[in-house]
Amino acid sequence: MTQPLLTIRNAQKRFGNVKAIDGIDLDVQENEFFALLGASGSGKTTLLRMLAGFEMPDGGEIILDGKDVSQVPPNHRPVNLMFQSYALFPHMSVAQNIAYGLEMEKLPKAQIKSRVDDILDVIQLGQLARRKPDQLSGGQRQRVALARALVKRPRLLLLDEPLGALDKKLRGDMQLELKRIQHEFGITFIIVTHDQEEALVMADRVAILKDGKLLQSGTPHEIYEHPQSRFAADFIGVMNFFPVREQGGKLVAKDGSVIAAAKKLEAGQEGVAAVRPERLHLNGDAGENSVTGTVSDIAYHGLDLQVHLKTAAAPEPVLIRLTADIAEARPISVGDTVTVNWAARDTRAFAH
Amino acid sequence: MRSIANPRLMLMILSAVFAFLYIPISVLFALSFNEGGLPTAWTGFSVKWYGELFRNADIMGAALNTLIVAVISTILATILGTLLAVGVEIRRRNGRFLETIIFAPMIIPDIVLAIALLSFFSLLNVTMGLHTVILSHVVFNLAFVCSVVRARLKTFDWSIVEASTDLGAPMAITLWRVVLPVMLPAVIAGALLAFTLSLDEFIIAFFTAGAGRDSITLPMQIFAMIRFGVTPEINALAAIVMTVSVVILALSQRLNRGGLPGQ
Amino acid sequence: MTDRKPLYLMTPALAWLTAFMVVPCLLILALGFFRRGIYGGIEYTFTLENVALVFDPLYASIFLKSAAIAGLSALIAVVIGYTAAFAIAAAPTRRQPTLLFFAVLPFWSNYLVRTYAWIVMLNREGLVAGIAAWLGYDGELPKMLYTETAVVIGLVYNYLPFVILACYAPLSRLNPEIAEASRDLGASAWTTFRRVILPMTVPGIATGFVFVFVLSIGNFVTPALLGGGNFQMIGNLVYAQFLTANDWPFGAALSMFLIAIMMGLLTLQTFATERASGARRED
Repeated sequence: MTQPLLTIRNAQKRFGNVKAIDGIDLDVQENEFFALLGASGSGKTTLLRMLAGFEMPDGGEIILDGKDVSQVPPNHRPVNLMFQSYALFPHMSVAQNIAYGLEMEKLPKAQIKSRVDDILDVIQLGQLARRKPDQLSGGQRQRVALARALVKRPRLLLLDEPLGALDKKLRGDMQLELKRIQHEFGITFIIVTHDQEEALVMADRVAILKDGKLLQSGTPHEIYEHPQSRFAADFIGVMNFFPVREQGGKLVAKDGSVIAAAKKLEAGQEGVAAVRPERLHLNGDAGENSVTGTVSDIAYHGLDLQVHLKTAAAPEPVLIRLTADIAEARPISVGDTVTVNWAARDTRAFAH
Repeated sequence: MRSIANPRLMLMILSAVFAFLYIPISVLFALSFNEGGLPTAWTGFSVKWYGELFRNADIMGAALNTLIVAVISTILATILGTLLAVGVEIRRRNGRFLETIIFAPMIIPDIVLAIALLSFFSLLNVTMGLHTVILSHVVFNLAFVCSVVRARLKTFDWSIVEASTDLGAPMAITLWRVVLPVMLPAVIAGALLAFTLSLDEFIIAFFTAGAGRDSITLPMQIFAMIRFGVTPEINALAAIVMTVSVVILALSQRLNRGGLPGQ
Repeated sequence: MTDRKPLYLMTPALAWLTAFMVVPCLLILALGFFRRGIYGGIEYTFTLENVALVFDPLYASIFLKSAAIAGLSALIAVVIGYTAAFAIAAAPTRRQPTLLFFAVLPFWSNYLVRTYAWIVMLNREGLVAGIAAWLGYDGELPKMLYTETAVVIGLVYNYLPFVILACYAPLSRLNPEIAEASRDLGASAWTTFRRVILPMTVPGIATGFVFVFVLSIGNFVTPALLGGGNFQMIGNLVYAQFLTANDWPFGAALSMFLIAIMMGLLTLQTFATERASGARRED
């Protein structure tokens, strides 16, 4: 592999007694679309602000293009941030907002103008160049904020919850739009989000943060299919958990049934076995594991049917997702007794 | 509130209150144009009392003094008050003691501040005159400027400061091109407020202006005149003074949608 | 950001306030405990005479009278002001700013001029007398100007706009659905006002009352102009000690009491505000 664009080595940051960042190591490759995913308080925003230069790490290194930039002030870093609030200058027009960063580079006027015009085309806001931010819609403001950071052609573009303020429909469109722009410009994006779906859809690689630590990083597929911790398994997507105890090389559930999993626990250890709802099947030959229960709830979601099953093996109802054709082939109603099967290779086990 | 209010009663209340507030002022205005000058009989429209006013050297001298005091104290107070507001809002967590000191000039009874300053200046053997009035006016003026600017800064999105830095601007450029333009309406509004407060301020000026006739301000002149009773000249002067403050403050209000202190 | 930079910005203003407000006020505090010199100067020996003199029946009665007039003015101003603020808050939303603007407008004009307007109104040849005559009343009118009533009218008139402003603030912030909820639960309009609206808007009332009281008790312009030459309130007393009687230590002692009253009331007001917000948290 070539040298990564960005390397974070053992980054540390304390606020008073709180360790906001607690020894994070991370590599980001050139041209990657990278997502920092975590709940609020996980340290993701602090890490982003550290990359932008608004927080100085207490320890560790931030290496960009082979140089440690951790003590470089924000206005001297080839890194730009798209703020969560967009932070558009309210007294400047769209074009003036976008030109501002280029003026700071003391570029010739003509060059600034042509670069501003170009980027206005990219974000399709050419006609609104003279408007003030308060005359724009939320989506338009978001695009101006993006353009203002992008026009400087930074080595690294940081996006702090870029879609947080948009409504759901617009968010879907903008996810694709951001990917397109990232691809077109060939700039490395690091996005901070608390929305796991957003991270999975947009990013080439995702890092999950919790309590200032890096839990796991990898491609969306790796993260979804091979979570390495119970937290990651729970945080990403939906998961069914069965409390188990290791007994003689097997995982035994509370009701005494044995659950076969791809990974073993140590002898005598307690933990959980986990399986995604879409891996549970109604036909009896889907795999080694099975559980029987009573249907307690059925929710219609259009694309699929989500069925809750009360079982003796798990305290929480087991969730099953049935696609429309399967649900039509085998009608289910509340109160029915149903047995579901799944394969051992789709089952993870996590120790407590 | 509408769900429990009787619209008719509300209208009656408002009419009564506005009548109470505006009749005395309106009478004053009307009388200032009354040829005969007497409140009891309307003898015809005239602006002659305004003419008298401008021929009165005492009044004109006092007006000039007031203007000098207001302009200089406003400039000083605007600079000091704005810096204070920015500092206080950047710090955010300010002790109660600090907040009290900043707030105090607006609530200390004028008479207390007036005698305090009088004692202070005379114990230091400072010759009193317009300069001591200016020094004193800056005290409350800066507090008012500070509170108007702070109100604006409370709704200020500080991330635009970071955005400017992120886009490559050093701090000085950020202050000049981003912070100042956004704050400017509030700064001007605060300055206008300070200016009218200073124009109208009587008690502190009365105590700190010293004994000389040279340092009499317009409110002091008006006070002296009123004590001698009602004259048509005062009516005209009162009408002018009132119009000036109201116009300036309406302007200030327009500039600053954030509102004046207390609003 | 470090704390250094903001302090640097704040220093000039804080230095100014220290030199021309804090130090002079401390000076007044000290002055109250010194002896008056024989020829009106100050003798720097410690004494409690001045403080004791404040409680002398002669002066104590002026204190009580001032407090009574200030209290009455504050009460009237709050009743009228709250009612007016309520009426404004009940007006259509888009008209409220205009109404408020015109309610506060007089407050921005010169205090002396507004007081003077009442001399014109209450004068023997004034408007009130004129209207009485025009209505055919030719008997002897009661004396209006240079009375305590005139002083109270003047104080109420001058401070009413502020009270309206102070009362309007919490009224306008009130969620209209709260009143509707009370009505929905079966309360009458009056009960809704008494049990719901009034308790939630106490801070505005407290602010208005304290403001009028504090400014009235220390006022010397209104008593001097509308109360006539012999009428004295604490403000006039302080004024006299400094500018005519030349007894600065006693004047300082009187001011100390003014400040003490003011601080006591402000504390009460803070307490009232906190209680009201506490009540709001409960629901």
